[in-house]
Amino acid sequence: MKLRLNNLKKSYGSRAVLDVERCEIPSGAITGLIGPNGAGKTTLMNIIAGLDAPESGEVLYGLKDGSFSPDLPKKAVTMLFQTPYMLHTTVEKNIAYPLQLRRAEREVIKRRVKNLMDDFDLTPLAKNKAWRLSGGETQKVALARAVALKPELLLLDEPTSNIDNTSVAVIEKTLDYERNKHKMTSVIISHNLAQIRRLCDYVIFMHEGRIIEQGDAKEILSKPADPRTKAFIAGELLL
Amino acid sequence: MDYIFDGIVQAIGLILSGDPVIFEVVGLSLRVSGTSVLIAVLIGIPLGILIGTREFIGKRVLLRIIYTCMSLPPVILGLFVFLILMRQGPLGAYQLNYTPTAMIIAQTLLVTPIVMGLTYNIVRDRAKDVGRLGKTLGGTGVSNVFLMLREVKGGLVIALVSAFGRAISEVGAVMIVGGNITGKTRVMTTYIAELRSMGDYSQAIAVGIILLLLSLIVNTILYQFQQRDEK
Repeated sequence: MKLRLNNLKKSYGSRAVLDVERCEIPSGAITGLIGPNGAGKTTLMNIIAGLDAPESGEVLYGLKDGSFSPDLPKKAVTMLFQTPYMLHTTVEKNIAYPLQLRRAEREVIKRRVKNLMDDFDLTPLAKNKAWRLSGGETQKVALARAVALKPELLLLDEPTSNIDNTSVAVIEKTLDYERNKHKMTSVIISHNLAQIRRLCDYVIFMHEGRIIEQGDAKEILSKPADPRTKAFIAGELLL
Repeated sequence: MDYIFDGIVQAIGLILSGDPVIFEVVGLSLRVSGTSVLIAVLIGIPLGILIGTREFIGKRVLLRIIYTCMSLPPVILGLFVFLILMRQGPLGAYQLNYTPTAMIIAQTLLVTPIVMGLTYNIVRDRAKDVGRLGKTLGGTGVSNVFLMLREVKGGLVIALVSAFGRAISEVGAVMIVGGNITGKTRVMTTYIAELRSMGDYSQAIAVGIILLLLSLIVNTILYQFQQRDEK
């Protein structure tokens, strides 16, 4: 799903937190949203997900027929948070929930949940209480629950910041697989530049609510044009 | 000390003998408190969810009022309901004072703020996370409300237990609006007060034990339900 962002503005009181003139997020690719804390990355992601509203401007969602719509296609977009909320039930019921919401047939749900649990190494935890899992396990369940819907656009807000490497690998593998197999579009916020290098096709660098630079991931990460991007990638503190 | 022992023996005797007076009093107590709690749940839970999930002008004032009403003295509330329902009052035409309906009204007003306040507190803690999850999984307004109910049902049981406990053990309000009329508005708590004033301590203890047993049974059932939910 291609995204077009036009003149998005958002402020809290007198403090402007987002001012994006124009941006396009490519379809079927993984886009990394990078920048220092307070750059407006999460605000932008929340607006794309429909969790927050901009003061002005619009997000246009690309449809399958090539046209664009300002209406959020609820069933095609989902989001993964840094600390996902687990429903107070078992792991398998958490994964099944979005499918039940779509009124999928019982057999379809059963099959899909089983496949997802196998893919994410969650089968031994199927009957466990989801809210008592470790951080890595929780994030895997949340991702399995999100991809159960076969979304066209997956938004991820620092999904791997506090989890073990094995779980990070499973999550990255899934994003890679979904991009290659189902042309799923992903937008990921991450402070881990090595992860951005491994995963992303496209990168957007944000600073103080604005998009400073955007383009091909390899190009931006190896030859950034803007000195602020260069400083951020070099690990300097942007104040 | 003998009268305490006698009271316990009498309680067992009264339960086993199926004493019609006791069963009538227990039946009315359960009917009045049960109906009050049911109405309080129907009003208090939706309003508690609404207040917990929405921001609006005057919310803080409203919450202060609810919290104050949660600890409202039953006697004051009983007096207020009595004055509203008395012959010269605004609802005097319905002649509800000294009827079980008046007792239900008083107890409903007493326990609705408890249900509402506790529901608000439970929902407030999870509103953001559950709301966000529901939205990002493509849920509708209705499905998100059901999701919220599902997620806080353990807490709602506690609200229910608290409301029932407050209603069944309350004496001031039901005494004022009901009048403790034999065979008509006499409930366990007002009966205990009457027996005490008559010096019939053994019988008062017997009814007290039945009241405690009833509370224990209801709370155990609801507690089991909550524990099953947590497992």
